[in-house]
Amino acid sequence: MFALYKKELSYYLNNPVGYIVTILFAGFVNFMFMKDVFLGTSVSMRPFFGLLPWLLIIFVPALTMRSLSEEKRSNTVEVLLTLPLSETQIVLAKFFAILTVVLFGLLLTASIPVAFSVVSKVYLPEILVGYGGIFLFSASFAAISLLCSSLTKNQVIAFLVSLVTLFFLTLMATDVISSFVPRFIQEILAYLGPLYHLDNFMKGLIDFRSVFYFISVITVFLGLTIIDLEKRG
Amino acid sequence: MVLPRGTSLRSSDQVEDGHSGSSGIVVCISLTPMISLTSVTKQFKEKKAVSQVSFEGKIGEIIGFLGVNGAGKTTTMRLILGYLLPSNGTVRIGQKNPATQRLSVLKTIGYLPENNPLYPEMKVREYLQFIAEVKNVKEWYSVVEAVSLDEMVNTKIEELSRGYKQRVGLAAALIGDPEILILDEPTSGLDPIEQDKIRILIKKLAKKKIILFSTHILSEVEDIATRLVIINKGSLVYDGEKPKTKGSVEKLFKKLVKE
Repeated sequence: MFALYKKELSYYLNNPVGYIVTILFAGFVNFMFMKDVFLGTSVSMRPFFGLLPWLLIIFVPALTMRSLSEEKRSNTVEVLLTLPLSETQIVLAKFFAILTVVLFGLLLTASIPVAFSVVSKVYLPEILVGYGGIFLFSASFAAISLLCSSLTKNQVIAFLVSLVTLFFLTLMATDVISSFVPRFIQEILAYLGPLYHLDNFMKGLIDFRSVFYFISVITVFLGLTIIDLEKRG
Repeated sequence: MVLPRGTSLRSSDQVEDGHSGSSGIVVCISLTPMISLTSVTKQFKEKKAVSQVSFEGKIGEIIGFLGVNGAGKTTTMRLILGYLLPSNGTVRIGQKNPATQRLSVLKTIGYLPENNPLYPEMKVREYLQFIAEVKNVKEWYSVVEAVSLDEMVNTKIEELSRGYKQRVGLAAALIGDPEILILDEPTSGLDPIEQDKIRILIKKLAKKKIILFSTHILSEVEDIATRLVIINKGSLVYDGEKPKTKGSVEKLFKKLVKE
């Protein structure tokens, strides 16, 4: 499994697409946050963590879209599945490779808390918990995107389906939904959406129910991807 | 010595009559993988791709697997590999069932899929190293020499000619010295000189292995196969010795497929 993880990671390292997507993500985060930061009266990291999920909606599918769809299109999936590798190992190797690149992208955004620490006093545990939450949030997005990539041979379709799915999942915990559905349904939808579970992390609180939620989402979607890979006729 | 069914003596195993020293008589017999298909059927929704196919393969045999397009050759090969599961019947590789012990079975099989899918962005060295790591094999460079890829080892796969790409696929199949080689149209799309090189290589490899290869080129079967299996519309229509006289494979094939 480690060999496949290395191969996947080297694809991102040796391919300009990996760099472009990651740098664009980090650049966008820095720009979007910094352009407004000096207008505010208080120094807080919450708007920063509030902004990240919306950019991850694009960043994660862009990294994940080719992962399995390209293997299926070029039939290299047959090469992988006729080597001593199980479907679970293939999916996990790809998932961890994507997570490594996502982690690298998130590290590039660390310039913001570092800059904050120069001009103001920042509470480090709050930032670390916030990043922990964002990492779990990204991992759940990666698992969902990986399933989308597995369901089609076309990476553009994989990207679009993934983007739309993640957008609506994120939207579920916002007030936009309340205009369309009754209050109690909105509360249920909000609880099912990942943004709701990120909220406590953004405040610097570790809520184990939310940790459990993210791990469950990751497990379910990776499981579905494995099942899809096992279906070969 | 009579060996039980499913057992064969590998050419590399030593049989010593130990009159010298105090070791006494030492007989080393190993169970070697043997391909065995018994009444294998594969149904895809409406279509029956393979129907009641049974044949066997033993070490030292080069089995030419013939059939027109869509006859069921690739499906049969995928069933042997455990890539597809049979709807009915059983496949055995030695004592193992690829349907339930796929990973264990795949350690003994080298496979060159149809159209030879590869990762174009990788260098030959990176690709073969990756395959070797997955197969848990440390020494892999000998296969590069075996298929004469030495000069291309640092070249990106996308920059290789079709012939060299085919050699990369073959080298990947050979890593780990598997006892069974399954080659799905190994010379397809190659020029006659490249075809000859691949055929010579297959003949050279055959001594210690079972090689099952599919092809459309009937002269290729005449040239390298020791046995012939013909499949038509998913059913086995011939399993036996290769006819010896020149042109007889073609006559046999046309007769059976026409019927």
